[in-house]
Amino acid sequence: MAIVAQSSKFSTYGRPILAWGVGLLFFFPIFWMILTSFKTDADAVKPEHLIFFTPTLENYLNMTQNYDYWRFARNSVITAVSATVFTLFVSIPAAYAMAFNPTRRTKDVLMWMLSTKMLPAAAVLYPMIFLAKGIGLYDTHILVIAVLSLINLPIAIWMLFTYFKEIPKDIIEAGKMDGVNTWGEIKEILIPLAWGGIASTALLIFIFCWNEAYWTVRLTTVDAATLSKLIEGNRAPEGLFFGRLSAVSTAAVGPIVVLGWFCQKQLVQGLTFGAVK
Amino acid sequence: MPDRKLPRLLQAPAVLLLLVWMLVPLGMTLYFSFIRYVLNNLRHPEWTTPSPSNWRGFGNYQFVLNSKDFLLAIQNSLFIVCSILFLTVTLGILIAVLINKAFPGQGIVRVLLISPFFVMPAVNAVLWINMILDPVLGLQGIAVSGINDVVDGLRQAPVLGSFFSLWPEFEPISFRATQTSAIAVIMMVTWQWTPFAVLIFMTSLQSEDQQQKEAAVLDGAGTWSQFRFLTLPHLGRPIAIVVMIQAIFHLSLYAEIEIVSRGNGNKNLPYLIGEFANNNIGAASATGIFAVILANIVAIFLLRAVGKTLME
Repeated sequence: MAIVAQSSKFSTYGRPILAWGVGLLFFFPIFWMILTSFKTDADAVKPEHLIFFTPTLENYLNMTQNYDYWRFARNSVITAVSATVFTLFVSIPAAYAMAFNPTRRTKDVLMWMLSTKMLPAAAVLYPMIFLAKGIGLYDTHILVIAVLSLINLPIAIWMLFTYFKEIPKDIIEAGKMDGVNTWGEIKEILIPLAWGGIASTALLIFIFCWNEAYWTVRLTTVDAATLSKLIEGNRAPEGLFFGRLSAVSTAAVGPIVVLGWFCQKQLVQGLTFGAVK
Repeated sequence: MPDRKLPRLLQAPAVLLLLVWMLVPLGMTLYFSFIRYVLNNLRHPEWTTPSPSNWRGFGNYQFVLNSKDFLLAIQNSLFIVCSILFLTVTLGILIAVLINKAFPGQGIVRVLLISPFFVMPAVNAVLWINMILDPVLGLQGIAVSGINDVVDGLRQAPVLGSFFSLWPEFEPISFRATQTSAIAVIMMVTWQWTPFAVLIFMTSLQSEDQQQKEAAVLDGAGTWSQFRFLTLPHLGRPIAIVVMIQAIFHLSLYAEIEIVSRGNGNKNLPYLIGEFANNNIGAASATGIFAVILANIVAIFLLRAVGKTLME
C-alpha cells in the first residue's frame, strides 16, 4: 500500500511539476529567440535588459532592408511547395501500385528505395555541382526542386504505402468492376479515401524541404538561395546583431514549428517507416 | 495482361528517378576518386579537368589515409554520433515515461517539447552558439559574469567573506574552440532530437499492455522493476529504430559543425570532405567513398531491423 500511496502523491504533484519543467526547458531556447527578436540590437546584449526592455517591432520591420528576407522566403516557398507537389505526383502512383498490386519484389524495391536515403550527401555533392554547372542549372529553382524531391521521394513512398495498406482492397476492386480505369481509381477512389494520409505526407515533406540545409546551401548562390542559406550566411554576427538575427530566425522557423504541431502523429509514422504505431 | 504491366508502369518513374539519383553521382564520385582532379594547379593545368589520362589509382585513397585529419574526422564523427545517441535515448525514455500518464496541461507540454524538432538546423546552430553559448554576450557569458559579481559581493561580507575569497573567478567557456565545439554540437543536436525520441517512445508506450502492468502491481512489483522488466523490453524495437535513424542523420551532420567551429579542428567526415573539396576533388571523392562505406555498415543494421517488422 505504501508504494501505491507514494506513487499517487507523485502523480498529483511531482509529475505535473517535473513534466512542465522539462517542457519549458526544451522550449526555452525558442522562447529566448522570440524574446530577443523584440529587443533592439543594442539592448539584446545588455545584461540589464535581459528580461526588462522596451519591446520594439523594428527588427521585423527592417527584415527586408537588413537581410532581403522576402527574397529568400520566396525561394523557400517556391522550392518547398514545388518539390512537395512533384514528390506526391511521383509517389502516389508508385505507392498505389505497391500497396494494391504487390509482387514478390515489392518488399525489395521498398527496401532499396529506403537505402538511397542512406547515401551520404557529402559524398555525391561535387559530382552534382559539376553536373549542374555543366548543364547550366546551378543556382536555379529547378535544381533545388529536383534535389529536394529526390531526397524525400523514399520517405513519401514509404509513408503513403503504409497508409494505402490500411485501405481494404475490396473498395478498390469494386471500382475495377465498375469499369473505372487506373487513373480514375486513383483520382476518384484512392485520393478521397486516403486524403488524411496524403495531406500529412505532404505536410511532413514540406517541412523537410523547408528545413533542408545541406543541398540548398551548397547548390545555390544568389538566385535560388533559401532561408537556410540566409541564416547560414549570417552565422557569426559577433553580438552586434542579435536582435535582428533573432527576428529573421523567428520568421524563418515560426510557421514551420506551428505546422509541425499538427502533424506529430504522422511524424512518428513517417520517420519510423510505419514500424512504430 | 494489363494487371501486371500497369503496376510496374506506375512505379517506373519513382524507380528510375531514384536509380539515376543514386548511380550517376555515386559513379562519378568513384571515378573522381581514382584520378587527379584539382580545381587550381598552375604547374599542372591538365589536372583541373577530369580525364582518365590523369589516372591516379589508389593514390587519392592513400593520400586520405595518410592525412592526419582523416582518423580524427572518423573519431569525431563517431564521438558526436554516439554521444547524441546516448543522450537522446536516455532522455527520451525518461521524458516519455514521465509525460505518458495524464496530468493537467499534458497536451501543451507535448507541444512545447516537440517544437525544437521543427527548427531548421541552421537556425538551431546560430541560436545556440550566439544567443545562448557565447562566452561574453550570450546567456552563458551573462550568467557567469553574474555569478562572479555575486561572489565578489559576498567577499566583502564580514565573516563569510574570507570563505568566499577562496573561491576562484569563474571562466566562461568558449564553445567555438577546438576541444569544446563538439560539445556544443552535441548539445544543440540533442536538444533538437530528444523530442523525436520522446515522440516515438510515447507512441510505443501507448500500446503497452496495461493488464500485465496491473498484474505486476498486484504481485508486488515496484515501480523500478515494472520499468525494468516490462516497459524497457517493450521499448526495445523503438529504441533500435531511434538509434539507427539518428545514426544515419547524424553521420552526415554538417550545418551545425560549420556554423559552430568554422573548421577550427573539430571536423567530422562530411566536413573533411568539404575541406578537401576546396581544391582537391580527387581526395574529397576518396573520402566520400569512405563515408559511403561507413554509412552502409550502419544501414545494413537498420534495414534488417526495420525490414523484419514492416511487411507483416
